[in-house]
Amino acid sequence: MNESQIAALVSENERLKAELNEVRASSNQYLQNVAHQLTAPLGAIKWSIEALKDPQVPIGRKSNLLSSIYSQATILVHLIKNFALMSNLEADLELGQFREKPEPIDMMRLAINLANDFQPQASERGNKIVVAESTFHKVFGSKKLAIEKNLVAQAISNLLENAVKYADSRETINLLAQADDRTVSIVVESKGIPISDEEKRNIFARGFRGAAARQKVAAGTGIGLYLASRVMKLHQGAIHVDAQGRISRFALEFPRPKLK
Amino acid sequence: MSPKKHTILFVDDEPMFTEPLRLVLEAKGFNCVSLTDMSAAVDFLDSNEVSVLVSDIMMPSGEAFPGIDSSETGFHFVSLVREEFPDVRVICLSVIGDQTKIEKLKRQGALYLRKGETPLETAAKLIETKATGVINF
Repeated sequence: MNESQIAALVSENERLKAELNEVRASSNQYLQNVAHQLTAPLGAIKWSIEALKDPQVPIGRKSNLLSSIYSQATILVHLIKNFALMSNLEADLELGQFREKPEPIDMMRLAINLANDFQPQASERGNKIVVAESTFHKVFGSKKLAIEKNLVAQAISNLLENAVKYADSRETINLLAQADDRTVSIVVESKGIPISDEEKRNIFARGFRGAAARQKVAAGTGIGLYLASRVMKLHQGAIHVDAQGRISRFALEFPRPKLK
Repeated sequence: MSPKKHTILFVDDEPMFTEPLRLVLEAKGFNCVSLTDMSAAVDFLDSNEVSVLVSDIMMPSGEAFPGIDSSETGFHFVSLVREEFPDVRVICLSVIGDQTKIEKLKRQGALYLRKGETPLETAAKLIETKATGVINF
Protein backbone atom coordinates (compact mmCIF):
# COMPACT_ATOMS: atom_id res chain seq x y z
CA MET A 1 0.00 0.00 0.00
CA ASN A 2 1.47 3.36 -0.93
CA GLU A 3 1.36 6.55 1.08
CA SER A 4 -1.49 8.15 -0.77
CA GLN A 5 -3.64 5.05 -0.25
CA ILE A 6 -2.89 5.14 3.47
CA ALA A 7 -3.74 8.83 3.61
CA ALA A 8 -7.04 8.12 1.84
CA LEU A 9 -7.85 5.38 4.36
CA VAL A 10 -7.01 7.66 7.28
CA SER A 11 -9.26 10.40 5.98
CA GLU A 12 -12.05 7.92 5.25
CA ASN A 13 -11.70 6.66 8.82
CA GLU A 14 -11.97 10.22 10.15
CA ARG A 15 -15.06 10.84 8.07
CA LEU A 16 -16.77 7.68 9.34
CA LYS A 17 -15.93 8.59 12.94
CA ALA A 18 -17.46 12.04 12.51
CA GLU A 19 -20.55 10.51 10.91
CA LEU A 20 -20.93 8.03 13.77
CA ASN A 21 -20.68 10.84 16.34
CA GLU A 22 -23.31 12.81 14.48
CA VAL A 23 -25.70 9.83 14.44
CA ARG A 24 -25.06 9.26 18.15
CA ALA A 25 -25.74 12.89 19.01
CA SER A 26 -28.94 13.00 17.00
CA SER A 27 -30.26 9.76 18.46
CA ASN A 28 -29.43 11.05 21.96
CA GLN A 29 -31.32 14.22 21.26
CA TYR A 30 -34.19 12.20 19.86
CA LEU A 31 -34.39 10.06 23.01
CA GLN A 32 -34.36 13.15 25.23
CA ASN A 33 -37.12 14.62 23.13
CA VAL A 34 -39.15 11.40 23.42
CA ALA A 35 -38.69 11.35 27.21
CA HIS A 36 -39.86 14.93 27.45
CA GLN A 37 -42.88 14.28 25.23
CA LEU A 38 -43.95 11.39 27.44
CA THR A 39 -43.26 13.08 30.78
CA ALA A 40 -45.15 16.28 30.09
CA PRO A 41 -48.66 14.79 29.70
CA LEU A 42 -48.09 12.53 32.71
CA GLY A 43 -47.01 15.50 34.83
CA ALA A 44 -50.10 17.41 33.76
CA ILE A 45 -52.31 14.44 34.64
CA LYS A 46 -50.71 14.26 38.10
CA TRP A 47 -51.31 17.94 38.78
CA SER A 48 -54.89 17.77 37.55
CA ILE A 49 -55.57 14.85 39.88
CA GLU A 50 -54.05 16.78 42.79
CA ALA A 51 -56.30 19.74 42.03
CA LEU A 52 -59.31 17.38 41.81
CA LYS A 53 -58.47 16.12 45.29
CA ASP A 54 -58.29 19.65 46.72
CA PRO A 55 -61.55 20.17 48.68
CA GLN A 56 -61.25 23.97 48.37
CA VAL A 57 -61.55 23.91 44.57
CA PRO A 58 -65.25 24.27 43.72
CA ILE A 59 -66.86 21.19 42.15
CA GLY A 60 -68.15 23.24 39.23
CA ARG A 61 -64.63 24.02 38.08
CA LYS A 62 -63.40 20.47 38.27
CA SER A 63 -65.00 19.24 35.04
CA ASN A 64 -62.36 21.17 33.06
CA LEU A 65 -59.69 19.20 34.86
CA LEU A 66 -61.33 15.94 33.84
CA SER A 67 -61.42 17.03 30.19
CA SER A 68 -57.79 18.00 30.44
CA ILE A 69 -56.85 14.60 31.89
CA TYR A 70 -58.76 12.98 29.05
CA SER A 71 -56.93 14.97 26.36
CA GLN A 72 -53.56 14.36 27.97
CA ALA A 73 -54.27 10.62 28.05
CA THR A 74 -55.29 10.78 24.36
CA ILE A 75 -52.04 12.56 23.54
CA LEU A 76 -50.04 9.92 25.40
CA VAL A 77 -51.74 6.99 23.70
CA HIS A 78 -51.25 8.66 20.34
CA LEU A 79 -47.56 9.30 21.01
CA ILE A 80 -46.87 5.81 22.21
CA LYS A 81 -48.60 4.37 19.15
CA ASN A 82 -46.37 6.53 16.94
CA PHE A 83 -43.23 5.27 18.65
CA ALA A 84 -44.39 1.67 18.42
CA LEU A 85 -45.21 2.10 14.74
CA MET A 86 -41.83 3.57 13.93
CA SER A 87 -39.89 0.32 14.10
CA ASN A 88 -42.63 -1.94 12.72
CA LEU A 89 -43.23 0.27 9.73
CA GLU A 90 -39.61 0.28 8.62
CA ALA A 91 -39.52 -3.52 8.80
CA ASP A 92 -42.81 -3.79 6.87
CA LEU A 93 -41.54 -1.45 4.19
CA GLU A 94 -38.36 -3.45 3.76
CA LEU A 95 -40.40 -6.62 3.29
CA GLY A 96 -42.89 -4.68 1.19
CA GLN A 97 -45.81 -6.29 2.98
CA PHE A 98 -48.33 -5.58 5.71
CA ARG A 99 -48.10 -7.01 9.22
CA GLU A 100 -51.90 -7.15 9.38
CA LYS A 101 -53.95 -7.98 6.32
CA PRO A 102 -55.69 -4.91 4.84
CA GLU A 103 -59.45 -4.97 5.33
CA PRO A 104 -62.30 -3.02 3.80
CA ILE A 105 -62.92 -0.03 6.05
CA ASP A 106 -65.82 2.42 6.20
CA MET A 107 -63.84 5.64 5.85
CA MET A 108 -66.55 8.01 7.01
CA ARG A 109 -66.96 6.11 10.24
CA LEU A 110 -63.22 6.09 10.75
CA ALA A 111 -63.04 9.84 10.04
CA ILE A 112 -65.84 10.61 12.50
CA ASN A 113 -64.25 8.49 15.23
CA LEU A 114 -60.86 10.14 14.80
CA ALA A 115 -62.37 13.62 14.69
CA ASN A 116 -64.18 12.84 17.96
CA ASP A 117 -60.90 11.70 19.53
CA PHE A 118 -59.26 15.05 18.85
CA GLN A 119 -62.31 17.25 19.49
CA PRO A 120 -61.50 17.87 23.20
CA GLN A 121 -57.95 18.99 22.33
CA ALA A 122 -59.28 21.17 19.52
CA SER A 123 -61.88 22.84 21.70
CA GLU A 124 -59.21 23.80 24.26
CA ARG A 125 -57.97 26.27 21.63
CA GLY A 126 -61.45 27.16 20.45
CA ASN A 127 -61.11 25.07 17.30
CA LYS A 128 -63.57 22.62 15.89
CA ILE A 129 -63.03 19.58 13.70
CA VAL A 130 -65.73 19.14 11.08
CA VAL A 131 -66.11 15.97 9.02
CA ALA A 132 -67.56 16.96 5.63
CA GLU A 133 -69.88 13.97 5.45
CA SER A 134 -71.28 14.86 2.03
CA THR A 135 -67.80 14.54 0.49
CA PHE A 136 -67.44 11.05 1.99
CA HIS A 137 -70.87 10.03 0.61
CA LYS A 138 -69.87 11.34 -2.80
CA VAL A 139 -66.45 9.65 -2.93
CA PHE A 140 -67.24 6.37 -1.20
CA GLY A 141 -70.99 5.86 -1.56
CA SER A 142 -71.46 2.38 -0.13
CA LYS A 143 -67.89 1.35 -0.95
CA LYS A 144 -65.08 0.74 1.47
CA LEU A 145 -61.34 1.23 1.30
CA ALA A 146 -59.00 -1.76 1.62
CA ILE A 147 -56.42 -0.55 4.11
CA GLU A 148 -54.56 -1.50 7.25
CA LYS A 149 -56.89 0.34 9.58
CA ASN A 150 -54.54 1.02 12.49
CA LEU A 151 -51.84 2.44 10.27
CA VAL A 152 -54.14 4.70 8.30
CA ALA A 153 -55.92 5.77 11.49
CA GLN A 154 -52.56 6.79 12.89
CA ALA A 155 -51.67 8.69 9.70
CA ILE A 156 -54.97 10.60 9.79
CA SER A 157 -54.53 11.21 13.54
CA ASN A 158 -51.08 12.69 12.91
CA LEU A 159 -52.57 15.13 10.40
CA LEU A 160 -55.38 16.03 12.80
CA GLU A 161 -52.98 16.46 15.69
CA ASN A 162 -50.83 18.84 13.65
CA ALA A 163 -53.89 20.78 12.53
CA VAL A 164 -55.01 21.16 16.16
CA LYS A 165 -51.51 22.23 17.24
CA TYR A 166 -50.81 24.70 14.46
CA ALA A 167 -54.23 26.09 13.53
CA ASP A 168 -55.12 29.66 14.43
CA SER A 169 -57.49 29.67 17.36
CA ARG A 170 -61.24 29.63 16.71
CA GLU A 171 -60.78 28.16 13.23
CA THR A 172 -62.49 25.12 11.77
CA ILE A 173 -60.42 22.09 10.80
CA ASN A 174 -62.00 20.22 7.90
CA LEU A 175 -61.70 16.51 7.32
CA LEU A 176 -62.94 15.59 3.87
CA ALA A 177 -62.74 13.07 1.04
CA GLN A 178 -61.92 13.72 -2.61
CA ALA A 179 -61.32 11.63 -5.71
CA ASP A 180 -60.11 11.73 -9.30
CA ASP A 181 -59.81 9.08 -12.01
CA ARG A 182 -56.91 7.29 -10.39
CA THR A 183 -57.02 8.11 -6.69
CA VAL A 184 -59.15 8.67 -3.61
CA SER A 185 -57.89 10.94 -0.85
CA ILE A 186 -58.56 11.85 2.72
CA VAL A 187 -57.78 15.52 3.27
CA VAL A 188 -57.18 17.58 6.40
CA GLU A 189 -57.55 21.27 5.76
CA SER A 190 -56.86 24.02 8.28
CA LYS A 191 -55.95 27.65 8.65
CA GLY A 192 -52.86 28.40 10.68
CA ILE A 193 -49.12 28.90 10.44
CA PRO A 194 -47.96 29.24 6.83
CA ILE A 195 -45.69 26.62 5.24
CA SER A 196 -42.95 27.93 2.93
CA ASP A 197 -42.00 26.27 -0.37
CA GLU A 198 -38.67 25.30 1.17
CA GLU A 199 -40.47 23.69 4.12
CA LYS A 200 -42.84 21.84 1.77
CA ARG A 201 -39.82 20.04 0.30
CA ASN A 202 -38.61 18.82 3.70
CA ILE A 203 -41.82 18.49 5.63
CA PHE A 204 -42.08 14.70 5.34
CA ALA A 205 -38.48 14.05 6.41
CA ARG A 206 -37.96 12.34 9.74
CA GLY A 207 -37.29 14.83 12.53
CA PHE A 208 -38.16 17.88 10.44
CA ARG A 209 -40.03 20.73 12.11
CA GLY A 210 -40.66 24.04 10.37
CA ALA A 211 -39.36 27.31 11.84
CA ALA A 212 -42.85 28.71 12.40
CA ALA A 213 -43.93 25.39 13.93
CA ARG A 214 -41.02 25.52 16.38
CA GLN A 215 -41.89 29.10 17.26
CA LYS A 216 -45.57 28.32 17.88
CA VAL A 217 -45.23 25.02 19.73
CA ALA A 218 -41.95 24.16 21.42
CA ALA A 219 -42.61 20.46 21.86
CA GLY A 220 -42.76 18.09 18.91
CA THR A 221 -41.06 14.90 17.82
CA GLY A 222 -40.96 15.66 14.12
CA ILE A 223 -42.10 12.13 13.24
CA GLY A 224 -45.86 12.60 12.65
CA LEU A 225 -45.74 13.49 8.96
CA TYR A 226 -42.79 11.20 8.33
CA LEU A 227 -44.81 8.27 9.69
CA ALA A 228 -47.86 9.29 7.68
CA SER A 229 -45.76 9.31 4.50
CA ARG A 230 -44.36 5.83 5.31
CA VAL A 231 -47.88 4.51 5.93
CA MET A 232 -48.95 5.85 2.55
CA LYS A 233 -45.92 4.31 0.84
CA LEU A 234 -46.86 0.92 2.29
CA HIS A 235 -50.34 1.42 0.76
CA GLN A 236 -48.80 2.26 -2.65
CA GLY A 237 -50.22 5.72 -2.15
CA ALA A 238 -48.73 9.12 -1.44
CA ILE A 239 -49.01 12.09 0.86
CA HIS A 240 -49.23 15.63 -0.47
CA VAL A 241 -49.13 19.05 1.05
CA ASP A 242 -50.66 22.07 -0.59
CA ALA A 243 -50.33 25.37 1.22
CA GLN A 244 -51.33 28.84 0.20
CA GLY A 245 -50.94 31.62 2.72
CA ARG A 246 -52.36 30.41 6.00
CA ILE A 247 -54.45 27.62 4.47
CA SER A 248 -52.82 24.23 4.33
CA ARG A 249 -54.17 20.97 2.98
CA PHE A 250 -52.61 17.60 3.68
CA ALA A 251 -53.90 14.77 1.51
CA LEU A 252 -53.48 11.04 1.99
CA GLU A 253 -53.87 9.65 -1.50
CA PHE A 254 -54.78 6.00 -2.10
CA PRO A 255 -54.80 4.21 -5.47
CA ARG A 256 -58.37 3.88 -6.71
CA PRO A 257 -58.29 0.05 -6.95
CA LYS A 258 -58.31 -0.02 -3.14
CA LEU A 259 -61.91 1.18 -3.33
CA LYS A 260 -64.06 -1.94 -2.92
CA MET B 1 -52.67 42.20 52.39
CA SER B 2 -55.40 39.70 51.69
CA PRO B 3 -54.85 37.26 48.80
CA LYS B 4 -57.55 39.10 46.82
CA LYS B 5 -55.25 42.09 46.37
CA HIS B 6 -52.58 39.96 44.71
CA THR B 7 -52.59 39.25 41.01
CA ILE B 8 -50.75 36.18 39.82
CA LEU B 9 -49.93 36.13 36.13
CA PHE B 10 -49.48 32.76 34.42
CA VAL B 11 -47.76 32.68 31.05
CA ASP B 12 -47.79 29.34 29.32
CA ASP B 13 -48.99 28.10 25.94
CA GLU B 14 -49.99 24.76 27.46
CA PRO B 15 -52.77 25.40 29.98
CA MET B 16 -52.67 21.78 31.17
CA PHE B 17 -50.16 22.75 33.86
CA THR B 18 -51.26 26.24 34.75
CA GLU B 19 -54.97 25.38 34.96
CA PRO B 20 -54.70 23.08 38.03
CA LEU B 21 -52.39 25.60 39.75
CA ARG B 22 -54.73 28.42 38.94
CA LEU B 23 -57.75 26.58 40.36
CA VAL B 24 -55.94 25.89 43.63
CA LEU B 25 -54.74 29.49 43.97
CA GLU B 26 -58.13 30.95 43.06
CA ALA B 27 -59.64 28.75 45.76
CA LYS B 28 -57.23 30.45 48.17
CA GLY B 29 -58.57 33.83 47.02
CA PHE B 30 -55.90 35.03 44.59
CA ASN B 31 -56.72 36.90 41.43
CA CYS B 32 -55.25 34.83 38.58
CA VAL B 33 -54.71 35.73 34.93
CA SER B 34 -53.51 33.29 32.24
CA LEU B 35 -51.81 34.39 29.00
CA THR B 36 -50.17 32.27 26.35
CA ASP B 37 -47.19 34.23 24.99
CA MET B 38 -44.48 36.71 25.94
CA SER B 39 -45.92 39.64 23.94
CA ALA B 40 -49.32 39.41 25.63
CA ALA B 41 -47.64 39.07 29.03
CA VAL B 42 -45.49 42.18 28.56
CA ASP B 43 -48.59 44.10 27.48
CA PHE B 44 -50.38 42.98 30.62
CA LEU B 45 -47.43 43.86 32.90
CA ASP B 46 -47.32 47.33 31.32
CA SER B 47 -50.77 48.21 32.54
CA ASN B 48 -51.46 46.00 35.59
CA GLU B 49 -49.94 45.43 38.96
CA VAL B 50 -48.72 41.86 39.22
CA SER B 51 -47.35 40.30 42.43
CA VAL B 52 -46.04 37.06 41.05
CA LEU B 53 -45.28 36.00 37.51
CA VAL B 54 -45.37 32.25 36.86
CA SER B 55 -43.80 31.71 33.45
CA ASP B 56 -43.01 28.81 31.18
CA ILE B 57 -39.65 28.72 29.35
CA MET B 58 -40.57 27.01 26.08
CA MET B 59 -43.42 29.09 24.70
CA PRO B 60 -44.17 31.41 21.78
CA SER B 61 -42.72 34.93 21.95
CA GLY B 62 -45.67 36.46 20.09
CA GLU B 63 -45.80 39.27 17.57
CA ALA B 64 -43.96 41.96 19.54
CA PHE B 65 -40.83 39.80 19.87
CA PRO B 66 -40.17 38.11 16.53
CA GLY B 67 -37.16 35.89 15.92
CA ILE B 68 -36.94 34.30 19.36
CA ASP B 69 -36.67 30.51 19.26
CA SER B 70 -39.59 29.17 21.29
CA SER B 71 -37.28 26.87 23.28
CA GLU B 72 -35.56 29.99 24.69
CA THR B 73 -38.40 32.48 25.09
CA GLY B 74 -38.57 32.29 28.89
CA PHE B 75 -34.92 33.34 29.30
CA HIS B 76 -35.52 36.49 27.27
CA PHE B 77 -38.75 37.13 29.13
CA VAL B 78 -37.22 36.75 32.62
CA SER B 79 -34.36 39.14 31.73
CA LEU B 80 -36.85 41.69 30.43
CA VAL B 81 -39.06 41.42 33.52
CA ARG B 82 -36.03 41.79 35.80
CA GLU B 83 -35.03 44.99 33.96
CA GLU B 84 -38.39 46.61 33.44
CA PHE B 85 -40.56 45.26 36.26
CA PRO B 86 -38.12 44.67 39.14
CA ASP B 87 -40.91 44.47 41.73
CA VAL B 88 -42.56 41.46 40.15
CA ARG B 89 -41.46 38.19 41.76
CA VAL B 90 -40.69 35.52 39.19
CA ILE B 91 -41.25 31.78 39.23
CA CYS B 92 -40.29 29.69 36.22
CA LEU B 93 -42.34 26.62 35.63
CA SER B 94 -40.89 24.38 32.97
CA VAL B 95 -39.57 20.98 32.05
CA ILE B 96 -36.02 22.00 31.13
CA GLY B 97 -33.32 20.00 32.89
CA ASP B 98 -30.21 21.89 31.76
CA GLN B 99 -28.53 22.87 35.06
CA THR B 100 -26.51 25.77 33.60
CA LYS B 101 -29.68 27.33 32.29
CA ILE B 102 -31.50 26.76 35.57
CA GLU B 103 -28.56 28.33 37.45
CA LYS B 104 -28.78 31.36 35.21
CA LEU B 105 -32.47 31.78 36.05
CA LYS B 106 -31.70 31.45 39.75
CA ARG B 107 -28.96 34.09 39.50
CA GLN B 108 -31.59 36.37 38.02
CA GLY B 109 -33.62 35.83 41.16
CA ALA B 110 -36.20 33.48 39.68
CA LEU B 111 -37.42 30.40 41.51
CA TYR B 112 -37.39 27.34 39.28
CA LEU B 113 -40.02 24.62 39.54
CA ARG B 114 -40.24 21.55 37.35
CA LYS B 115 -43.65 20.94 35.86
CA GLY B 116 -45.38 17.89 37.23
CA GLU B 117 -42.45 16.99 39.51
CA THR B 118 -42.90 19.52 42.29
CA PRO B 119 -46.15 18.44 43.99
CA LEU B 120 -49.00 20.79 43.08
CA GLU B 121 -49.62 21.74 46.69
CA THR B 122 -45.96 22.68 47.20
CA ALA B 123 -45.93 24.72 44.01
CA ALA B 124 -49.09 26.54 45.08
CA LYS B 125 -47.67 27.25 48.53
CA LEU B 126 -44.42 28.59 47.07
CA ILE B 127 -46.36 30.95 44.83
CA GLU B 128 -48.51 32.01 47.77
CA THR B 129 -45.40 32.70 49.86
CA LYS B 130 -43.81 34.73 47.05
CA ALA B 131 -47.02 36.75 46.70
CA THR B 132 -47.78 37.48 50.34
CA GLY B 133 -44.30 37.29 51.85
CA VAL B 134 -45.82 35.10 54.55
CA ILE B 135 -44.59 31.55 54.98
CA ASN B 136 -47.65 29.45 55.59
CA PHE B 137 -46.57 25.79 55.53
